[in-house]
Parts: sequence; structure tokens; C-alpha cells
Amino acid sequence: MKKIYLHPIPVRIWHWINAISFLTLIVTGIQIRYRDLINLMSFETAVDIHNWFGFILIGNYFIWLVFYIFTGKIKIYIPSLNKPIEFIKGSIRQAGYYGYGIFLGETNPHHATPDHKFNPMQQMAYLFIMALLIPLQLITGLLLWDIKLFSRWIDLLGGIKIVDTIHLLLFIFFTSFLFVHIYLATLGHTPTAHIKAMFTGYEEEEEHSH
Amino acid sequence: MNDRKKILISLFLVLIILPVYAEAAKGVLSDDAQMCMGCHSDKGLTKQLENKEILSLFINGNEFANSVHNPMGCTGCHMDISMENHPQVMTIKSKQEWALKASKSCTMCHADAQIKKKPIHSYLITKAKAPTCAECHGLHAIKRISDWKPQVNVNQYCLTCHKQELSISIKGIPMRLHIDESLLKGSVHNKHACSDCHSEFSKEQHPVKTLEDIRGHSIAVSDVCRRCHSDKFALVEGGIHFIMLKGGNLKAPVCTDCHGFHSVGPKETYKTLTGVPCKKCHENIFNAYKESVHGKAKIKGVEKAPICSSCHKAHDVKVTAMTEQMKGACLGCHKEAESLHKEWLWSAPFALPTLAKLHLDTIACAACHSPVAARGIYLRLYDKNTGKPFTDEQIKKLLGTEPDEFMKRMDSYGDGIDSSELWEIFKQLNKKGAEASVVFQGRMDVQKDIESHQLALKKEAVRECARCHSAESEFFKDVKVAIIKADGRPAFYSAKQEVLGSLFSVLSLNQFYALGGTRLKLLDILFILAVLGGLSVPVAHITARILTIPIRSLKKMGKGGKR
Repeated sequence: MKKIYLHPIPVRIWHWINAISFLTLIVTGIQIRYRDLINLMSFETAVDIHNWFGFILIGNYFIWLVFYIFTGKIKIYIPSLNKPIEFIKGSIRQAGYYGYGIFLGETNPHHATPDHKFNPMQQMAYLFIMALLIPLQLITGLLLWDIKLFSRWIDLLGGIKIVDTIHLLLFIFFTSFLFVHIYLATLGHTPTAHIKAMFTGYEEEEEHSH
Repeated sequence: MNDRKKILISLFLVLIILPVYAEAAKGVLSDDAQMCMGCHSDKGLTKQLENKEILSLFINGNEFANSVHNPMGCTGCHMDISMENHPQVMTIKSKQEWALKASKSCTMCHADAQIKKKPIHSYLITKAKAPTCAECHGLHAIKRISDWKPQVNVNQYCLTCHKQELSISIKGIPMRLHIDESLLKGSVHNKHACSDCHSEFSKEQHPVKTLEDIRGHSIAVSDVCRRCHSDKFALVEGGIHFIMLKGGNLKAPVCTDCHGFHSVGPKETYKTLTGVPCKKCHENIFNAYKESVHGKAKIKGVEKAPICSSCHKAHDVKVTAMTEQMKGACLGCHKEAESLHKEWLWSAPFALPTLAKLHLDTIACAACHSPVAARGIYLRLYDKNTGKPFTDEQIKKLLGTEPDEFMKRMDSYGDGIDSSELWEIFKQLNKKGAEASVVFQGRMDVQKDIESHQLALKKEAVRECARCHSAESEFFKDVKVAIIKADGRPAFYSAKQEVLGSLFSVLSLNQFYALGGTRLKLLDILFILAVLGGLSVPVAHITARILTIPIRSLKKMGKGGKR
């Protein structure tokens, strides 16, 4: 079994803070929105927790951004646009694995390394999420946190209902994505391999005889 | 007769009559008068009339001696009384009858033609209920008018008649012309002469006026106030009452309706529970106010406790419903309100004042502080460019139809405006070429104006966030579109609750958002689908993996075989 140091400690800290924050924000978000259906906590408590974790998530996003930009590791998120055919082929190959090959017992075509951590599908998804969706979610959340303070910005975006709808659509996306994300995390060589790696930093990989 | 003769006769008459008048001017009673005064100088001399009224028979000798009628003596007027037949038993029904009888004596000397020279006499003489001569001119102290006039001021002159129970009838409705002298003396205008206001009347002239109706007269008279109180009048012209009046509502109050005619009190009078004039028309609201925290404080004698004009202003009385004025009025006294709300109404993690301000901007104070009130959501039309309400006049100008007609047409089934109808209204008001950018702004307020006066103690106010921030909140069930009319009053049109959470609202109500209260139903459906979709991926994938175990086993076995 080969061990690869894939997740440096700042990434692991960021990831787990992110995970806790996301779960908390989803739960409290549901409580705020569906107070008439769910009663896990009071409305005030749900709002307070939601706000606190919202700001934690904003801070955490900057930990991620600063770490990845200053270490130059940000490139792991950026698809190699100079080889688009290869990227498309890699994506199809990866989709083929998840949708077909995995059932036949084929091996994952992507072998993660510190410099090539994500497969093409992950690269596309995470770049989209980290560069667009999360910032958008954080910005709309911040605007909704104080709609009077940020009223001009809200007007620029088309009004409070537009901002709220964007925030809600992203919440729906992230909630849905979470199921897929957690499931995919169990598709290592053992169901807990990827999860353990996010604690230890080391990803275990089976050594295949060719 | 030549001129010389005329002069001689005149001189003769003057020489004969002058001593008589000179004697009278000294205030000396004639012999027969002195004889009468033997009894009638007794102040206790009275007579009970048939209607049980007590008629004083006392005559002030000095007054009579100095009156213009002194030379005539008593029998000059009381011709039926003489030493031979007096005292006699006279049957007098009432003082009124006696006054009428006595006044008839006047006509013995003062012929109709002489009386009618004065227009007001000429007018009064035609009236059945006209006052008698004595009622205005008195009985035994009558002075020559030319002597008397300079001795009295205008008010005394006017009151000579108007302190009597005078009235006229306008189209069958009696209008009192009686002035209560004590009220006049107690008013802030007691230093004014009657002619200061009634400028067409004076000691010299009393034109006969033709009045169309009493109300029209009151309105016209109130215009007189403008002469001295132009500043107040300018304020009045901006108020709802004046706008209503201009719009043809003659019931709208004018100066005299609030301040009275001749009993205008100091301004403090109108700030008391007993003196506040608003209750005359707004009785039910005043009663609600009296039961409120403010009314109770006023009753207890708390001087600074607000009364009607504290919030609604005294002269430029404004409509406060659906306006920012009410908030200004509340915060005018409760200067610490914002900071007090901020103490508990802030958004974690930073205690900024904005959340409290936001609530104070979008929720009427009464919506929380009137605990028994029914609340609702009011969607007001605003011009986004100017930040001002979009009025019905602007709607009319823009669409060429009466706003009321337009709104009713938009509510095609008459069952309340639904989301698609609201969207149509929004589209039409923002149609191509429209000068304004019209938006709906939401506001929570009490449903009835009476409820906004039922303010309670702070501890009774609503402060649980969850009472509002829920789609099921009782406060979000009543939704209305409010359009501000030209006079400042809002017109309301019922809307369905679903307008707050429809997809159309993203654009048509993009300025109204209440966490939990205005959630889009479509997003709820999308959320459920997304959760199911997210769950279905692992479920389907795991299922497929389970079903394909045999394939992988075979493959492994194959590999083993090779080995």
C-alpha cells in the first residue's frame, strides 16, 4: 500500500471547518426557513448560529484562498487549458469509470498526487464551486445578514428578493451536492480511505501490478 | 314764509325748549317722575307675572334722569298709568309680553320711517321673532344715540343687541346670533374689537347679509383668521382637512370647528382631554386613545403625554397611515427608541444598529406596540427614482384611467389580487416609456386606524421574532395593495397571501423580504427535489454496485484463474 501526502495541514483544517460550517448552516438555514415545520431550536438561536458560522465560513474561505495562492497550489484547481482534448478525454474517462467501470471492478483512472490532486471532473466541479458558487453564497449571505447596511449593493443586484433567491438556490445546490460529495468520499480503496486521508493527510493507494 | 321769519321762529323754539333740556341734562327728575320714584326706587319692588316670572319694578332714578327720555317723564311712555288709576291690577303674562307692550310705546314717537332708516332695523322689523326695542336699547337708561355711541366701544355697541337671544333662520335652520359675553371675555381674542374680524360691521354700519347656508357661512368666516394667523393658515392649507374641504367635503373642519367662534381659548386648551377638538369628529379613536398608555398618562396629569396634535400636528393635520410621519412622531418623543431596540434587535455577531433601524423603517410602531391589533402587510407603490410614493394621480396620468377602476380591472375575479395580477399591475406601471420606476414596498401595519391608537406599555409589545418570521405568521395573512390618493389618504385593495411567496414576487415585490415570511414556494419544491436528487445518486450508485457484485466477482475469479 502506497501512502501519498496529499492534504497539508492547512487544507485539512480548512476542509473540516468548512464541513462543520456547511452542515451547521444547512441545518440552521432549514430551521430559519421552515420554522413552521421544524423545531430544533428557537428562531433567534438559529439565526445567531447561522450568522456566526456564516462569518466563520467567510474567514475560512480566505484561509483557503491565501494558502492556495501563496503556495502556488491553486493550479491544482485549474484545468490544463493548453491540452483541452486531453482534458475532455480525461473527463469522459473519469465519468466512464464512475458510471460504468467501477461496476466492472476497473481501477480509478485518476491517481492523485500533491500536484495533480483532482481528476478532471473534480477539477471542473471544485473550480466552479470555489471560484464562483462559494463566493456568491458568501456574498449573498453577507448582504442578507444586514440588508440595510448593504442596501445599495442589494439594489445593484436587482433587489432583495433576487439576492435571497440566489442564496436559496445555492443552498439547495450545496445541500444536494453534499450527499454526492460524501458518497464519493467513500469510493476509495476502502469506504473510509478518503475520509481518513482528510484527517491524516496521507492518501493510501493500492499498488497494482501491471 | 320768508327766511327771516323762519329764523325767528327757530330761535324762539330753541329758547323755549333749551331750558327744558338743560334742566333735564342736569339729571333732575320731573315732578311726576319723582312721584313715581317714591315707590319705584325701592329695589325690592317686584311683581309676579302669570308665568311665575318675577318682574322687577325698580327704576334707577339717576339713570332715568340722565336718559334722553327724562323730559318726557314717566307718563310719556306709560300713558295708561296715572295717579288716578295707579297702582292698578295689571295682568301681564310674561316678561316677553311686557317688553313687547313697552316697546310699542316707542313707536308713538319713533315713526316707522325713522326706524327703517337703519338697514338692520328695516330687516328686523320684518321678522316675527325680532327682538323688541327694549331688548337692545334698554328701558329707562336710554341715551341719545349720538351721545351714547362715542361713550361705548365697538364690542359694547355690538353686544347691546347680540347679547340678546338673537337668531336668524337660513333655509329653515336657525342660526344663533347670540354672543355669550362671558365667553368672549374669556377668549384669547378679548382685546379685539368685534369689527377686527367682522370688518364689514362697525358702530357706523350694519349691512344686512344674505347667507346661503350656515356651513358656508362658517367656512367663509374661518377665512378671516388668515388675516392675523397667516402662518397657521399656510399650514392648514397643507393639511388633510383643507384638502378635503377643497375637494368638496364641506364637513371637513375649518378654524371655527376646532377653535370655536367667540370663545377661542389659549392653545393649551386644545391639548387637554376636555378641550381637544378632534374628539368631536373622531370620537371612537379618541376613546381608544384614552385607554392607551398615552391617554392614561394624560389622565394622570403627565404633562408631556401626547395628545392628538402631538402626533398628527395641529394645523397641517396629516394622514399618518402608510407614511413615515408616524415613526417621526414616535421617535420625536421616544428619542432613545432606536438605541433601546438596538439593545436586543441586532444581528450576530456584530451589534450594529442597522437591524433595529430596518425594523423601525418597515414596521409601524403600532404593529408591535398595540398588542390587541390585527396586523397586515401593506404593499405601497413607490417611485424608485424619487423615493416617493407613487400616487393615484400619477397612475391616472400614466395609464389614463382612474386608479380605482384600474385596480378593480386588474383584480379580474374580484377575489383579491393574485400573484399574476400583481405582476400585470407591476408591468403596466413600468411599461415602456413610463417616467417612473415603480416598485412595491412592503410594510407591516395595523389593520384599523383605531388600533394604532391602542398603544400599550413597552412590556406588552411584540418582541418575539418568530411571531413574524414564519410563512404561517398571523401577521402575513392579510395583504393589501395601498395606493396613496391625492389627499394623502391610502386606498386599499385586497391581495392574496400567495403574492408574497410567488415566483412573480422575485421581480414585482423585489423590495419586500421578511426572513421566513416571504419564502418562495417554488424554491421549497426545488429544495425537496434537490434533496431527493442528491440522495438518489448514492442510492442508485450503491444499488448498481450491489447488483454488479457478481460481475466483479467473476472478474476477480478470472484473474485468480490466470494466476
